[in-house]
Amino acid sequence: MPNAIIVQNLSKSFRRYHADRPRTLKEAFLHGLDGLRRVAPKERFWALCDVSFSVASGHMIGVIGPNGAGKSTLLRLIGGIGRPDKGQVTVHGRIGALLDLGTGFHPDLTGRENVFVNGVIAGLTRDEVVQRFDSIVAFAELEEFIDNPLHTYSTGMQMRLGFAVAAHTDPEILLIDEILAVGDLAFQRKCLDRIDQFKAQGHTIILVSHDTGAIQQLCDKALWLRRGRLVTYGPADLVVGQYVAEMSTETKRRTPSTKPVMLTPNGIELRINENRFGSMEMEIAAVRLLDTAGLPVTELEGGQPLSIEIEYLAPEPVDAPIFGVIISREDGLVCYDIHTAAAGLTLPTVQGRGTVMLELERLDLVGGQYYADVSVYERDWSYTYDSQWHVYPLLIHPTEHDKGVLHPPAHWKIGRSIGTPGQ
Amino acid sequence: MRNSVNSYHVRQPLYTWDLLRELVVRDMKLRYKRSVLGIVWSLLNPLLQMVVFIFLSRRVLSLEIPNYPSFVFTGLLTWNWFQTGLTLATGAITGNRELIRRPGFPVAILPVVTVTTNLIHFLLALPIPLLFLVLGGGRLSITILMLPLVILLQFALILGLGYLVATLQVTFRDTQHLLGVFFMLLFYLTPVFYDVSIVPRRYQTLYQLNPILHLISAYRAILIQGNLPDLRTLLALGVLGGMLLWLGHTIFTWASYRFVEEL
Repeated sequence: MPNAIIVQNLSKSFRRYHADRPRTLKEAFLHGLDGLRRVAPKERFWALCDVSFSVASGHMIGVIGPNGAGKSTLLRLIGGIGRPDKGQVTVHGRIGALLDLGTGFHPDLTGRENVFVNGVIAGLTRDEVVQRFDSIVAFAELEEFIDNPLHTYSTGMQMRLGFAVAAHTDPEILLIDEILAVGDLAFQRKCLDRIDQFKAQGHTIILVSHDTGAIQQLCDKALWLRRGRLVTYGPADLVVGQYVAEMSTETKRRTPSTKPVMLTPNGIELRINENRFGSMEMEIAAVRLLDTAGLPVTELEGGQPLSIEIEYLAPEPVDAPIFGVIISREDGLVCYDIHTAAAGLTLPTVQGRGTVMLELERLDLVGGQYYADVSVYERDWSYTYDSQWHVYPLLIHPTEHDKGVLHPPAHWKIGRSIGTPGQ
Repeated sequence: MRNSVNSYHVRQPLYTWDLLRELVVRDMKLRYKRSVLGIVWSLLNPLLQMVVFIFLSRRVLSLEIPNYPSFVFTGLLTWNWFQTGLTLATGAITGNRELIRRPGFPVAILPVVTVTTNLIHFLLALPIPLLFLVLGGGRLSITILMLPLVILLQFALILGLGYLVATLQVTFRDTQHLLGVFFMLLFYLTPVFYDVSIVPRRYQTLYQLNPILHLISAYRAILIQGNLPDLRTLLALGVLGGMLLWLGHTIFTWASYRFVEEL
């Protein structure tokens, strides 16, 4: 079988710039020669390093790996976006992409207008869009709304339209990035059916996903990337199995067994592998729950603000750690889960002692016993530095009718009834 | 199914044309979608400017220029196309983040789209100075046939510069802002509402370095005065436009691989 995609010794580096790199001409000139020097990149890091593989025509392969492993970079280079530093990508056939569904849409244009603009942007001629228009709209199930402006569409409707356009560009090679994670279940089902159809028609597909189950289910082969390098490339079941196993053992393996038991200020013992996990390259030294006045608290009324201050200790420099906080109930139910990466934050390289603070404007939980669970992870999530579970207690005072989990500010409004009783 | 190579060469120019057309139409629609006056806006702006300059020339500055309404309107149209076209081309990359992330999308088309959109505004307003001319007792001359050539020259100049500033804007986000300041100053140093002949002799050489001056003069010659524009000047503009286009496109293409990383 001929190869649809051949990747040979592919390497790609990105420039990392000075933190105070001038973003404007004004700054660049005000700083004189020094400013101009800082425009140039400080260093490079390799997003992909010497990756080689080939994909047989008509095959579907999945790309897995932790965040920052180079999955999206690989997909982009195959799509011809950006230029590799070394090696080359050879592609036989027209490429279509499901990278960011609906991003090319404009809210002020109607669905119809958006289909035309996006169809042409996706590689169809105008005539081809005209021929396929009815089929696109039917697929998206948006016949009644197609002449309404896009800002009247729900996110789900926009996704459907985006997928419908992309699905009608009949590419020979299809690149898919994480689309299975969006939209409602019915829409996901529809996407998967369409992907199956593409497969059946002999199109070559590359799917990037965190969903290892989907990759196992859909793909012929899987490709595992770690820090820009190819770990294995082989049958999907095998590779996914290895990957999942390694991810969970990595944290356990790195957890030292010799760390002495420590005591938190609340008198709770921190025991390795019981309520504390991680490599301890970087430690969470203390966690303080603070009220609006900045005073430590262990009890709150529901709906009050709460700040969680994390003090860390990094004996050696640690690059861009990710901090995460979970508010969990006594029985282990995760009520809230947030981390710095989700907020789009990249921390600088840290060393020594420092603090990170999460401010919650309201904590709208019903009364009960909760914990603030704090973790710090390696920059690409590949393992955990330190994670402390059910160590920092937080009591939310119960109110009279506490049921469920949430306790948002709520008001009833009773409308007047229409019709006269007793008539 | 490997005949796609042959059909590609037939298909590609057709496709590029369709793409340009759809993107220009999108730009036009977006600009006028939510305004009642719609396309009239693009005429109203230079018309109001013209009224102010007619007032200034008659009551304040006492400029003695024949056919002054056509004279100043022609200058304003040329200037506006240059300024707006270039200012919008500056944001052609930074404003189309999602398009440059599409596999196979020809990024170099984006500045062409903005310059073309502004060309259409220019063409829509073009009958107005001619109308003023005829109403003022003037006559259209056969030299109007030179019009497409001058338009082409201006297009090349704006696009060439557009490629450069669009590239610069990706790294330095104040490029568009600085360009605005630059254009505000240059407006008064370009003979848009006055004639270059009243500029003192010792500044003339400096004035002649401004390509917009030559474009305006060429338009005025063929539309109002009915003369042939200075052909040597046109040739020089052509060479300049060609060089800028080549230089701009080369730098743009070279830098375009990094656009995705920088945005």
